[in-house]
Amino acid sequence: MTQEEVKQKVKKAVSEVLKIEQSEIDDDANFIFDLGADSMQSMLLIAAFEDEFDIEMEVEKAQEVQSISEAIDFISGYL
Amino acid sequence: MTEKTNIYKQNLQTLFYPKSVAIVGTNKVKGTVPGDIFTNIMKAELNGVVFPVNPREKFIGGVKTYKYVIDVPDDVDLAIIVFPSSVCNRALEQCGQKGIKAVIIISAGFKEIGEKGLEREKELLEIAAKYDISFIGPNCLGVINTDPVSRLNASFAREFPAEGNIAFLSQSGALCTAVLDYALAKNIGFSKFVSFGNKADISEIDLLYYLMDDEKTKVILLYLEEITNGPGLMQAARDVIEKSGKPVLIMKSGRTSEGASAAASHTGSLAGSDEICNAAFEQAGIIRCDNIQEMFNIAIAFAYQPMPKTNKVAIITNAGGPGVLTTDAAIKQGLQLARFSEETTSILKRSLPSTANIKNPIDVIGDARADRYIAAMDAAFKDDDVDGVFVILTPQSMTDIEAIAEEVAKAAQGSDKPVYTSFMGAADVAAGIKILEKYQIPHYRIPEAMCMPFYTAYAFNKMVKEHTDVTVELTGLDNDKAQSILQNASNEGRSYLPEHVAAKVIEAYGLPVIESGLAHSANEAAEIAAKIGFPVVMKVMSDDILHKFDVGGVVLNVNSKEEATQTFTDIYASVNRKMPDAKIEGIYIEKQIRQGTEVILGIKRDPSFGPVVMFGLGGIFVEIFKDVSFRIAPVDKSAALEMIMQIKSSKLLFGARGRANMDIDSIANAIVRLSRLAVDCPEIKELDINPLIVLEEGEGCYVTDTKIII
Repeated sequence: MTQEEVKQKVKKAVSEVLKIEQSEIDDDANFIFDLGADSMQSMLLIAAFEDEFDIEMEVEKAQEVQSISEAIDFISGYL
Repeated sequence: MTEKTNIYKQNLQTLFYPKSVAIVGTNKVKGTVPGDIFTNIMKAELNGVVFPVNPREKFIGGVKTYKYVIDVPDDVDLAIIVFPSSVCNRALEQCGQKGIKAVIIISAGFKEIGEKGLEREKELLEIAAKYDISFIGPNCLGVINTDPVSRLNASFAREFPAEGNIAFLSQSGALCTAVLDYALAKNIGFSKFVSFGNKADISEIDLLYYLMDDEKTKVILLYLEEITNGPGLMQAARDVIEKSGKPVLIMKSGRTSEGASAAASHTGSLAGSDEICNAAFEQAGIIRCDNIQEMFNIAIAFAYQPMPKTNKVAIITNAGGPGVLTTDAAIKQGLQLARFSEETTSILKRSLPSTANIKNPIDVIGDARADRYIAAMDAAFKDDDVDGVFVILTPQSMTDIEAIAEEVAKAAQGSDKPVYTSFMGAADVAAGIKILEKYQIPHYRIPEAMCMPFYTAYAFNKMVKEHTDVTVELTGLDNDKAQSILQNASNEGRSYLPEHVAAKVIEAYGLPVIESGLAHSANEAAEIAAKIGFPVVMKVMSDDILHKFDVGGVVLNVNSKEEATQTFTDIYASVNRKMPDAKIEGIYIEKQIRQGTEVILGIKRDPSFGPVVMFGLGGIFVEIFKDVSFRIAPVDKSAALEMIMQIKSSKLLFGARGRANMDIDSIANAIVRLSRLAVDCPEIKELDINPLIVLEEGEGCYVTDTKIII
């Protein structure tokens, strides 16, 4: 999977959980600061990434992922 | 006050009196911190504009909401950050870019969670420094200003307290909520209410300096869990008390003394952190309280009533028993019952029934109504010997509690003498107590409880009025010499100084060290002893021997050159027999002085307050009774004299049981000089002078044994 494909899938998952148009999500957007995710939504994002990429992430490390760009890097490590 | 503190004062003024507030990271969810902060600030009806900031919401509570704080079109005075800790840095950075100077960071997840949180906190400080931002928190409940000019409730407390003249500052947010609830039940109002959490930037010291000039604040209460800058706190409290006359009451948790157990000297083992904290507070004029109830019992006395000029009170009661109980408690506390003048007695005789007791305590008798209470109060107010009135009521069948409360409160308001009350009981007197609280007349559940707050207010007022600076420039201090000796010892890798070297250090600071010398041979011992003059004391000098007496290493009453020669040989023989591996440096010979009273002086360093000096009587008074006193160095002579007077066994120095008066003045001088040594030579970790022999008045004192740990 290319980096671009990963990015689009990440944005899709974020869009679904936070109910934001994909076009409104910048590449370096922070889930909390820029997209307004609360603590529950942050947990839901982890689950959404796992479903989207069919992977199982280490929860403690996944919780440290704060932004779209960090998510792309982190998820790429599982692919 | 430093320049930094001045910047804080300006920013704190903006923080308490903002004309525009941004709540960064707020949301619509009730029952969450970000949501409730918005609700509270709106409910309190802030005298200013509120800008909610949330990346997703367009409106919160009908108020236009901005994605970022930098998007707010108007100027913002205060930002309240309620984002999760991971993005507080970004929020603060934007506050800086927006030109906001006052910030409250409510969010938790910083120093209190460990290394990662500490890093985040450091980052906040770097951003704050970059933009000259002052911030309260993180990890706090927030800030309340009840002043109608502001009406700021930047907190997630359940209630907005009533306006009052007490400021409450707390390191613990949870305690704040309990205090607010307690105050609500007692009708106690606040001027400012601050939970400062991790005090990463604005600390209790900055807040004290701000409140010093705050016209709305009369009394300052502070709850602390850790003291990070003891000298700074002491100086701030001193400045507040001296410049504004406002009392500072502190409740400091953590009264344990693990720190003392690992100490290597007497002073170290006796000076636990709590004892040092007590001493520091006393020196600074801070009133230390043990619990919330005690703190507010004292606070309302300061906040509601005039200061007592003397410790003389009149007690007015409608029942004999409580009057006697209160009298006992008053005397025990250090108060006096006023002696009524003939005129007062005559007025009371005319105004009260013949069965009433017209002496102090005045018993207006069980069937008294308001008129008798008022007659007794008026008489007491007019009496020159009375400087405070305690009014006690027990609820009897004919007692009109509410009418008495109303009249007593009005009478108290018209007097310049403090009035404290105790309406005893609970259910029947509740409405009466509410009336007293409404009029801000201090009320106490039991009458004995009136005594401690009254005495505290009296003592504070006396301290403020009688304060004089008696700092005297010391002469004859050879800091270079002391430093050089300590440096040499350090270069040699020593952890403590041999006695004869330690003596040189304190001698450099003008402490009276008796004449001495170190002998390396029997002949040299005889010569040194003869030069000093007989009798002399001879002691073994060895780094390997801590308890010289146990190895026959100390001999008293050496009266001639021959005896000195023999003693030298005897000590070597004894030590070689009992501790053959000990390396002997020589035999220390010193003048044996006349018998006097043995006292102990010492130095210790406290992690919060720095150098500390200790004084106590020698022997069992220190070993068993731990009868010692402490002060933070440096101390002036009056503080040194207080240290001497403070120990329980001090009477032994003042001619008790037929003894002569000892030379107190010389001890005080020694304490003052030692305290300067403690300040000037931070290399000294601990120091014991044990004993200092004190002779009779006018004859001085002498150091005979000194231990210095570096």
